[in-house]
Amino acid sequence: MTRNDTRKADDSDEQRTDGSGPAVSEPTTRPDATSDSLLDDSFDVTSGSLSGDADAVLETRNLDVFYDGVQALQDVTIEIPENGVTALIGPSGCGKSTFLRCINRMNDLIDAARVEGELRFEGKNVYDDDVDPVALRRKIGMVFQSPNPFPKSIRDNVAFGLEVQDKAGDVDETVHRALERAALLDEVEDQLDSSGLDLSGGQQQRLCIARAIAPDPDVLLMDEPASALDPIATSKIEDLIEDLAEEYTVIIVTHNMQQAARISDKTAVFLTGGELVEFDDTDKIFENPEHDRVEDYITGKFG
Amino acid sequence: MATTDESTGTWFGADGQVSQLRGLLFKAGCLGATLLALFLVFVFLVYVAIDAIEPGTADPAWWATVATTVAGPAIVLSIYYYRFAPRAGEVAYTALGLPVAATLLAGGVSIVFRHIVSPHEWLALVVASLVAYGALEFHGRARDAGALERVVVGAAVIGLTIVGVPGLVPSLRTLLLSLPVLPMAPLALLGTFVVPIGVGAGWSVRRARESDRAGLIAGGVTVAAAAIGAVAGPVVGVSWTTWLVLTTVVGVPVGLYVERVYRGGKGVSGLALPVALAAGVVVCAVIVETAGFAGPDVWIDWEFLTSAHNRTPREAGIYPALVGSVMMIIVVALAAFPVGVGAAIYLEEYAPTSGLSGSIVELIEINIANLAGVPSVVYGLLGLALFVKVGELRPGIVIVGGLTVSLLILPIIIISAQEAIRAVPDSQRRAAYGIGATRWQTVRTVVLPRAMPGIMTGTILALGRAIGETAPLLMVGVAAVVRISPRSFFGLFSAMPRQLYSWAQLAKPDFYHGVLAAGVLVLLVVLLMMNGTAILLRNKYQRRD
Repeated sequence: MTRNDTRKADDSDEQRTDGSGPAVSEPTTRPDATSDSLLDDSFDVTSGSLSGDADAVLETRNLDVFYDGVQALQDVTIEIPENGVTALIGPSGCGKSTFLRCINRMNDLIDAARVEGELRFEGKNVYDDDVDPVALRRKIGMVFQSPNPFPKSIRDNVAFGLEVQDKAGDVDETVHRALERAALLDEVEDQLDSSGLDLSGGQQQRLCIARAIAPDPDVLLMDEPASALDPIATSKIEDLIEDLAEEYTVIIVTHNMQQAARISDKTAVFLTGGELVEFDDTDKIFENPEHDRVEDYITGKFG
Repeated sequence: MATTDESTGTWFGADGQVSQLRGLLFKAGCLGATLLALFLVFVFLVYVAIDAIEPGTADPAWWATVATTVAGPAIVLSIYYYRFAPRAGEVAYTALGLPVAATLLAGGVSIVFRHIVSPHEWLALVVASLVAYGALEFHGRARDAGALERVVVGAAVIGLTIVGVPGLVPSLRTLLLSLPVLPMAPLALLGTFVVPIGVGAGWSVRRARESDRAGLIAGGVTVAAAAIGAVAGPVVGVSWTTWLVLTTVVGVPVGLYVERVYRGGKGVSGLALPVALAAGVVVCAVIVETAGFAGPDVWIDWEFLTSAHNRTPREAGIYPALVGSVMMIIVVALAAFPVGVGAAIYLEEYAPTSGLSGSIVELIEINIANLAGVPSVVYGLLGLALFVKVGELRPGIVIVGGLTVSLLILPIIIISAQEAIRAVPDSQRRAAYGIGATRWQTVRTVVLPRAMPGIMTGTILALGRAIGETAPLLMVGVAAVVRISPRSFFGLFSAMPRQLYSWAQLAKPDFYHGVLAAGVLVLLVVLLMMNGTAILLRNKYQRRD
């Protein structure tokens, strides 16, 4: 499976360099070009960063979020590296989902939400006035807590992103590849025209992942993608996330600390009040956290 | 526990100490209310039906014949289905209802082709639409055009082929109509009405049976059945056009349903019920004819449906009013549906929800709900002021009546469409936005398809209300009696409820008993059809989710 996916990754890299998508490995030299790229469909420049950390694809500075005056995120500053899995953990109501929704500006859909501070994606503050949230979401895919396939055929579900983003090319092939990368193709290959709602919960969630990766975003946000699934489906999703991390920057919110420990490379711990307490390599967080509060949370003393 | 010896046998409530009297009385009261409501409606319906059919005027022998040849076999079959083959019972139910509903629909289609769109106009419209579609498709294939260019080209093509510029450029449609040689009306319909439906039927059979041959047969039979009307129509006494519409609108759905039941192989015996009923009717007719039993003196008969009002009650009919109602409903649907659904989409998907503008939107929504409760006579007054006084249209014409009634049902359509849109789960919208869809793409590809069954259900129910409205028609001067069906949407008309109202005021008892009752039955059947369609739509799509 892993070998298979590596080959796939190479394929898509090839495809990217032919101009149809962003060239992941190409370094940037001009920060201005990076800023403009968000407004333009032809992304040539990525992974540049204005900060010292050359790897950070996403970084925030003093990010605050308020819902009708109630503060949900407090002064969050974080740099999320490219590729690999970053897990966001913390007790309920600590703002980790809010943080996730800030990244692709899904909070814009909530009238009461107000965001302050900076959130840079590939060097450009996504809350600048000249950033179109729709263009941003085309670069940053999202998978939600409960599977939400459209009441359409499996094929149309996966092709939805291609259709709305007006991506030309062989739709059937892209659909097949996305389903394969989502480890669903074998199960649904002969029923692509049946409804996506006829699948089991775990299959539906993998269908949603296929739908999110079909238009080939750079970052994949996952909001507790396995919380509504049984253990077997969960383990499939976890394997899948590890595979996807070779190609995408995956940011996952989870309530399940074992899950975070199993699949993530980096872990951010949010604690009550919307405060980012610690962000480090997953091993370090789970074995030797710097803050006592984090240790208390991880060992189950609260939360 | 210590007192078990005293209370033995009482803890399980055998003496009624748990279920209390008040609860029982409340339950009985609710039951009584239900029964009373049902009884009142039932008595009314029976009363009307008796007036319309006058069962007392028939020979007892006639009733006996009907009971033994038609009712008897049907009851026996029903009992059989109920006891032994419930699946066949469902099939029988549908197989009986489908032809009846399709025949009523065929009646509506006939009225449309006779009075609203003549076969030649239909031919021109279809050909012009095909040309427009072909041109747009060609443009789409030949050039990878941007959105703006597509819109401009689309508008230009549709303008040239279908709409035209009044006084300057005639459209392709009008040019076709002015051709010196046009095919005969039935031939035009055969080519542009029967053939497309036949192709559709053939395609559906081909897909279901996965056989090209079966598809060809299905399509061929449809067209052939319509074509032999040239000979068979006059023999049975209907025009070729009527035959065409009947065989297509009734034959195709019934045929497809029978084919599906046979293919599925479940409940095939259910098809016996309609066959038995039809055979029973034929046998009954033969017996009654030969033995000379007199049937009842029914008011609601073919004559009633196809003739105009007459001073002699026996010769009075509802046809012009029926046509007027159909034309009015077309105006209402065309006017109220786009406006109502558009308003609902804006209010649900685009309108601000917070701040000052949010409060204004909320105020507007509350007022729309209030508008739904405004008495219809007030809307009549509004229509009179708006369309007759300000718009300077002639009072009493189809378009004025239709627009006035659309005002009346607009709030109902807005509210029901809003509810249907609100019922689309937010997770679906989030899924679309999360993948980079714009708001317009989300509304078009996710929200509307999912809300459409609900919107259609609400709209059909609202149209049902529209078809029965009388007061607004009185206010805008719709004629009490019209002997000729309106020739266009700008012609004077009468609608069914208006016609009923004027019959109720005539002095002869035959009018306010017999003719009125027959008219009420016709109106109720039309309403029942519309509501039945709405319920079918709702059930069909509810099961999907």
